[in-house]
Amino acid sequence: MRPNPLTRRGVLLGTAGVALAAHCTAPAVARSTPLRIGLLTSLSGPFTSLGESMRAGLELLIADAGGQMGGRPVELLVEDDGGKPEEGLRKVRKLIAQDGIDVLGGVISAGVALAIRDVVTEAGLPTFISNASANALAREAASPLVFRPTKTSWMLGHSGALWTFQNIAKDGGLTVGADYAAGREYIGDFVQTFQEQGGSVGTQLWTPLGTTDFSPILTTIAAEQPNFVYAFFAGADAVRFLQQMQEYQLQDLVKLIGPGALFDQEDVVPAAGSAALGGINTFQQSPTAPAAHGFVEAYLKAGGRLPGEASTAGYVTGQVIRAGLEAVAGDPSDRERFRQALLEQPIETVIGPMRFDPRNNQAVLDIYVNELVAGPDGQPLNTVVHTFPAVQDPGPAG
Amino acid sequence: MGFYLIQTLNALAFSVLLMLCGLGLSLVLSLMNFVNLTHGSSYLFGSYAAVVWLGSGAPWWLAVPAAFLAAALAGLLLDRFPFARFYGRNHLAQVLLTYGLSVMFADLMRLGFGAEIRSPVLPDLLRGVVFVLGMPFPIYRIVLILAGGVLSLVLWYLFDRTIWGAVVRASVADRRMVETLGLDTRRVFALVMAIAAGLGGLSGALGVGMLSAYPGLDEEILLHALFVVVLGGLGTFRGTVAGALVLGFAMTFARVWLPEFAGFLTLLAIALLLVLRPDGLVAPKLRQV
Repeated sequence: MRPNPLTRRGVLLGTAGVALAAHCTAPAVARSTPLRIGLLTSLSGPFTSLGESMRAGLELLIADAGGQMGGRPVELLVEDDGGKPEEGLRKVRKLIAQDGIDVLGGVISAGVALAIRDVVTEAGLPTFISNASANALAREAASPLVFRPTKTSWMLGHSGALWTFQNIAKDGGLTVGADYAAGREYIGDFVQTFQEQGGSVGTQLWTPLGTTDFSPILTTIAAEQPNFVYAFFAGADAVRFLQQMQEYQLQDLVKLIGPGALFDQEDVVPAAGSAALGGINTFQQSPTAPAAHGFVEAYLKAGGRLPGEASTAGYVTGQVIRAGLEAVAGDPSDRERFRQALLEQPIETVIGPMRFDPRNNQAVLDIYVNELVAGPDGQPLNTVVHTFPAVQDPGPAG
Repeated sequence: MGFYLIQTLNALAFSVLLMLCGLGLSLVLSLMNFVNLTHGSSYLFGSYAAVVWLGSGAPWWLAVPAAFLAAALAGLLLDRFPFARFYGRNHLAQVLLTYGLSVMFADLMRLGFGAEIRSPVLPDLLRGVVFVLGMPFPIYRIVLILAGGVLSLVLWYLFDRTIWGAVVRASVADRRMVETLGLDTRRVFALVMAIAAGLGGLSGALGVGMLSAYPGLDEEILLHALFVVVLGGLGTFRGTVAGALVLGFAMTFARVWLPEFAGFLTLLAIALLLVLRPDGLVAPKLRQV
């Protein structure tokens, strides 16, 4: 195992916090023991760049909070799950048994999120799923101590369908998606809502995760000349899809819409460049959302990039943990009290107002419709053109 | 009609990319009997080199030679240490060494070039399309197909038709006999390793416009290259070309007709071919020791 230098940085930060706390006043001994936040993220494997961004986002929040939450210094322990469920499970067991963390955040991959669900539930560890969107976690796999301060796949697919139906076309579109759990969920939820509205969707194309060459699909799109394409790809797949759309000069011919990952401001847009222009996406966050004002500038200053989903999710997770801890004066050991505190009052986050659905601890969020227009520097910028307020997943009953 | 013509061109372009990936690997594996799993790293290194080159404003048409030279130099250094000590060892030792190195290179490149996805700034000339029977086809891919064709002809001529190629092949077949003729096989191998690594870098530079560059691409490319080489047959140059064509067409048309089963169909085709032609599409004449 290679040593993780940023865990060390976390420890240093925590130590600084301890020194600061000890210096200021003389609080009760219990309150000056550092609060340990575990961050399970992907620092290797397919989600490396997302994992790095998520860590940067959470570190920024901890720095903004002066290294303290609820009056206690914070110690951040970062573990790498490599995007693999069994690795994630092993790291969570280590964080619980060996490091004795007080709360857990992070998780990029839905597979990892579902894999660790039982372990954190049994251990009674307050857990915040920052990025994974699997619908199941808000439905049959919901757990009383697993909070999700981010979207479900349904929230994005559903709102995407509403917007497409109202503003683009009611029929003559096609869908294309990466053929794995997330792709099936986004596209399935899009199609379902679109049909419920009275629209009809044409051909549904699927392509394996990690597709290098999209040309067969692009030639099919060129031949069908659809009114719109609803697409789900993420990371490198999204970049390649957008660039190859542009390469085949379909960018200006076909309206492209998808969940936010297709046009992630940090992960996809810088690499895709002008190929992202003109796209539409529905997303729980946006660099141009009014709530993000301040955070966007701070993140840009710290890392030289606009924040995308993962970094924003890391920051928001920190905000939620912080809000919960402030409400219980820094002591989450009474799980039920901590849970109630989180459920009771809405939290103002950099993605907008957030409250948790008491049925499944799923965040109810504003969903933004972003259009990719050229920003001040000429680069495509996710610009809010519409907001669906307080979108709520159907939950366990749905 | 136009639809299938373009899909055929699509398949051809993808085959060329696969062939380019496979060539460097095949060269080392079949000529030197050395399992080089760092080939994916050479590819990714070439991709990054091209991205940096194109981003720097230097003449764009030199990006590919620059990537070739950079990767070839890296290959030459690797040949000096530690590859040369492993040429005579068994495959298992070579796999352990080169796989370990590829993991190290992946981490080093992540440190050097970042974890985010990088794409090249292509010149306008390469960004257009031509319309064939009313359907768009990118100029970039036409260039790719042509470059692949020319490159494979050059390599085939070099290794199959020149005295220099004969020396390389003879060095593999019977190293001691070649040495008794007064030739330094050590240098021959070093040169082949450099060319093979350079080819990896070159394909990375040519392919980066299609695939971008990001951590993890090295493994994907290595897997594709291994498919091509094994499918085509070890030890033959034509085999690699045939393997790339079969794989490229299978993957493309599987996605045209049955996209949901594309991965399954492709692997099924590979498995069937391996059962029917276990030595590869073009069986090698060389005896493997």
